[in-house]
Amino acid sequence: MFNAERFIEEIIKSLKEDITGKALIAFSGGVDSTVCAALVNRAIGKKLIAVHVDTGYMRKNESSDVKKMMEKLKLNYRYVDASKDFIKSLKGVEDPEKKRKIIGEKFIRIFEQVAEEEGIGFLVQGTIAPDWIESGGELRDTIKSHHNVGGLPEIMKLKLIEPLRDLYKDEIRKIARVLNLDVAERQPFPGPGLAIRIIGEPTPDRIEIVREACFIVEDEIEKAVEDDKMEMPWQYFAVLLPVKSVGVHGDKRAYGYVIAVRAVHSIDAMTCAFSKIPNDVIDRISSRITNSLKEKVNRVVYDVTNKPPGTVEWE
Amino acid sequence: MVKIFVIDNGGQWTHREWRTLRDLDVETKIMPNSTDFNDILKEKLDGLVLSGGAPRVGLNDELGNSGQYLEMSKIPILGICAGHQFMARYFGGKVSESKLPEFGKIELTIIKKDPIFKKVPDRSVVWLSHNDEVSSIPKDFEILASSENCQIQAMKNNNKPFYGLQFHPEVEHTEYGEQIFKNFVKICEG
Repeated sequence: MFNAERFIEEIIKSLKEDITGKALIAFSGGVDSTVCAALVNRAIGKKLIAVHVDTGYMRKNESSDVKKMMEKLKLNYRYVDASKDFIKSLKGVEDPEKKRKIIGEKFIRIFEQVAEEEGIGFLVQGTIAPDWIESGGELRDTIKSHHNVGGLPEIMKLKLIEPLRDLYKDEIRKIARVLNLDVAERQPFPGPGLAIRIIGEPTPDRIEIVREACFIVEDEIEKAVEDDKMEMPWQYFAVLLPVKSVGVHGDKRAYGYVIAVRAVHSIDAMTCAFSKIPNDVIDRISSRITNSLKEKVNRVVYDVTNKPPGTVEWE
Repeated sequence: MVKIFVIDNGGQWTHREWRTLRDLDVETKIMPNSTDFNDILKEKLDGLVLSGGAPRVGLNDELGNSGQYLEMSKIPILGICAGHQFMARYFGGKVSESKLPEFGKIELTIIKKDPIFKKVPDRSVVWLSHNDEVSSIPKDFEILASSENCQIQAMKNNNKPFYGLQFHPEVEHTEYGEQIFKNFVKICEG
């Protein structure tokens, strides 16, 4: 069985040997990068610089919360607001793989710039097994290019360190619990963020719609879990579809977008079953999304696909 | 400690097979399917898993040196998905495109009792992800389990400890997956 205590001890020892200078960690504030930062911080202390990038595709208040978290963890950190740049680079881009590759490369160029300014030679990433498995390569088919693997450019100046490569999320959570990290039970959020929860071009007005819808889904499901109405899903969010449908708003014709609600059960993301959400919870989610997003969204559907054949995120 | 390696045919769940074995305290490692059989022999293994693979490899491809392993090996071999299909093809069976491919959750029915299914009920939930299947079983093999849309879900060689499974025992959502791996480890222990 996986032994978190032993893993922590061994990895800190090998990180001390492998990282011979200053290192930079790509810090999203999720479980993987937070666990990774905590481990590397123990190994090399202030020689580690955490870099958080606000891509403009983050959830409600997410980047400011991550900033507070980096302070709480006493990390030596840099905060880069690159939202305008990211949004501009995805203008007109509809293909999911293109979105992922553009975002992956943008991240790396920002990290390289910080590295150059501060004389850093190592890039630490919280890559875990499903990231490189799904990114494919050699024999393996590419399911989706995870921004931290398949999104990496071919020529890179920084030396890559990925201490969590062979682990799955449930094992990462075990380490997080041993390290007493608040993020231990946080749901996964993809690096490309809301850009891949908008099917089609991820324009600024669409980001606002899906951000609000994701917030409502999270809020209602977390309340329902607290009230013991349902089990905590592995991941739960909203997807904005590029489809419009007809509705009726106060005797007037409405014509707005469709939101798909997705919630799945899993332990490692390699197979997932869609969550059985009680009807009254899905009812509240639907009413709240359509009421608060008014003329923008007038229809909500629930995704009942397992993985396989689906994947968790739609892109 | 039992030593069972996983031969990587490029499957999405190859690493999950490695993890399941590691969690059962088996000494394990993932090896590329280009590994020469002599290098496998040097490892003094107790068993081998042939993983699933990238699209359609079970249908047409050679799966690296997998043929060598099946020809020369005396230790137990468990073929999963494409590994199972290749095993059938190698020994003279047929693999063809499934009329109805199976993705996700399916009910498995055990037809014949066997040590590989020890403590597994006659009907249980398994997960799959395949476009092709074994359509005709090779000589000296027998069918151990079926599903509604796929007759040959599990097979066994009558003379050697070679097993093939179309479904995936390594994934979390297969109800008795870990038990099936435990049974395979037991078979490898001899």
